[in-house]
Amino acid sequence: MSKSLRLGVATAVGEFTGLASRALGRGRGETIAGRAILAVDSGAIKKLAAGRDIVLVSGTNGKTTTTTNLSKVLEFGTDEDVSTSKFGANMRAGIVAALAAKPRNRYVVLECDELYLPEMYRLVEPKVIVLLNLSRDQLHRTGEVRKVAQLWHDTFTRDDVTLIIDRDDPFLEYAVANAGHVVRVTFGGRKHPDAATCPQCSELLDWTAGDYKCACGLGSKLATVRGERALSGPARNSVLAIEAARLMGAVVPIEMVQDLTANPPDRVVENVVAGRTVNTRLAKNPESWRNTLAQVSSNNVILAVNARGIDGKDTSWLWDVDYSALVGKNVVCIGERRRDVAYRISVQGIATKVAGSFEEAVALFDDQPIEAVASYTAFQDLAAQQMGLNVKTGGRK
Amino acid sequence: MTISIVRLYHDLMGTYGDQGNAEVLIHRAKARGIDCELIEVTPHMPVPTSGDIYLIGGGEDGPQTASLRMLQKDGGLNVAIDRGATLFAVCAGFQIIGRELPNPDGGSIEGLALLDAITIVDDSPRSVGELVIEPSVAGLPVFTGFENHQGLTELGPEVRPLGRVISGVGNGFDGIEGAWQGNIIATYMHGPALARNPELADVLLANVVGELAPFEDEFANELARERRATLTAK
Repeated sequence: MSKSLRLGVATAVGEFTGLASRALGRGRGETIAGRAILAVDSGAIKKLAAGRDIVLVSGTNGKTTTTTNLSKVLEFGTDEDVSTSKFGANMRAGIVAALAAKPRNRYVVLECDELYLPEMYRLVEPKVIVLLNLSRDQLHRTGEVRKVAQLWHDTFTRDDVTLIIDRDDPFLEYAVANAGHVVRVTFGGRKHPDAATCPQCSELLDWTAGDYKCACGLGSKLATVRGERALSGPARNSVLAIEAARLMGAVVPIEMVQDLTANPPDRVVENVVAGRTVNTRLAKNPESWRNTLAQVSSNNVILAVNARGIDGKDTSWLWDVDYSALVGKNVVCIGERRRDVAYRISVQGIATKVAGSFEEAVALFDDQPIEAVASYTAFQDLAAQQMGLNVKTGGRK
Repeated sequence: MTISIVRLYHDLMGTYGDQGNAEVLIHRAKARGIDCELIEVTPHMPVPTSGDIYLIGGGEDGPQTASLRMLQKDGGLNVAIDRGATLFAVCAGFQIIGRELPNPDGGSIEGLALLDAITIVDDSPRSVGELVIEPSVAGLPVFTGFENHQGLTELGPEVRPLGRVISGVGNGFDGIEGAWQGNIIATYMHGPALARNPELADVLLANVVGELAPFEDEFANELARERRATLTAK
């Protein structure tokens, strides 16, 4: 089979498999479609990426939201269709599916898992990479935060891509230390909760008023772009997305910039459970729980915690989060690891109940609005249930 | 009475959530009418020698070495433990209180030598996953935790392990896990270990205050029971 024919067959097979997967209620199809494409043509990623203008988005928190946000800004600012990742599928299969969906689109915005970034950087030859932040997440998989920073440090050693980073994050500064083109965005400096020591030499970092320095030479650098101080995590990601869109040639009007930083897109999903609306936010590691709990305004709160692979199998990090925002609220813990989170918050003096499911939790509340904070798979399961898909059930009680 | 709990360098040695151990101890002590003071030791602050329970958790290689160097230079932890204070050390903390541990740059470095143990690294894969042990002291239930470490730790002949491994890796030698030598208890279990095993928290408290009044904490007991049931059912 000729190369282009093989690729054509691969994408057709992928499309069919994705449709079949959705029709059978087995998920949203992207990952399955991507696997089918790669099974027919293992070189599909490189071929589908060739000659296109690609942005990769990676980092611990905000990848999916920022990818969607950036693709919308880019569409608006270039007046062209933009291909992009769907539903957070950010490894090989998800990436090839996003590339194959509309292969003639010039612009592509791809979400990329941290550990797959080196491979995707080489395969898709992006113009721009946005590195949002690095903090503790899925330690059973990555081992240590600095290992991700080291992996990136060893990867970005050329000047064939422009990296956009939050310069207040020492792990990102180390990740791009050898890179040719870096756009540094500062938000006025802030102490990183996981960076007591230097990502480069492991000596204690010297932190003063949100900036850091180390005897080895790593330190806060002069920024190219200054964002407002005290922006929330989602707002900071919006600023980075706007910079990326501009670098790709988009014209972004100032009103849009103001709106995206004042009301940054956040992954809040309105679910309906047993006739009640439950506004659900995804939170998956200490930093995203801190950001998310700060935004909870309702009196009725569900905390849903699982510990399947992508959630992080070790729930110890629940003890690194301050739950004082929940004091005085009605809290119900659900999920496979509801007892871990219930005990954690009870030690902090927060009254709580446990329940077996969203439905059971909802039944315990009064008529006031309900919000939920859910770990990755709990969030996904609820979303799938809302779409009427088959859901992997929530484990034993 | 008031007991003083000293948490060592949790910015450096708190990567895996072990700082929760202090909160569990305080919660369980207060429930028995025992007051607690928590002393946070931050880098370059002198380590107090008059504490009752010292806690050190797990951290990454670099912070582990930095913590070890500061504790060696300060000397306060060794004074306190020699005086009879209780020490609970987890993972990287377990490794640095031994006699020798791997240097991240190659070779090995001297530890605090509070415990007769040596940690090495070989080319075996990182030990990551749920860990279940049968404690080596009678009367205690099965303990569970989550391990995530590269090193393997060999205990000296006089050191009793914390327990025998039912599932998981533990120390990586002789099917045993952790160490229990006088007033020192060490383990590879995160969770945090004292949150998932309230009986172990009470062992540490009883070391200081003697016999404890019973305390049935519904949420703690439910968590311990669920983890034990789930992990021993496999």
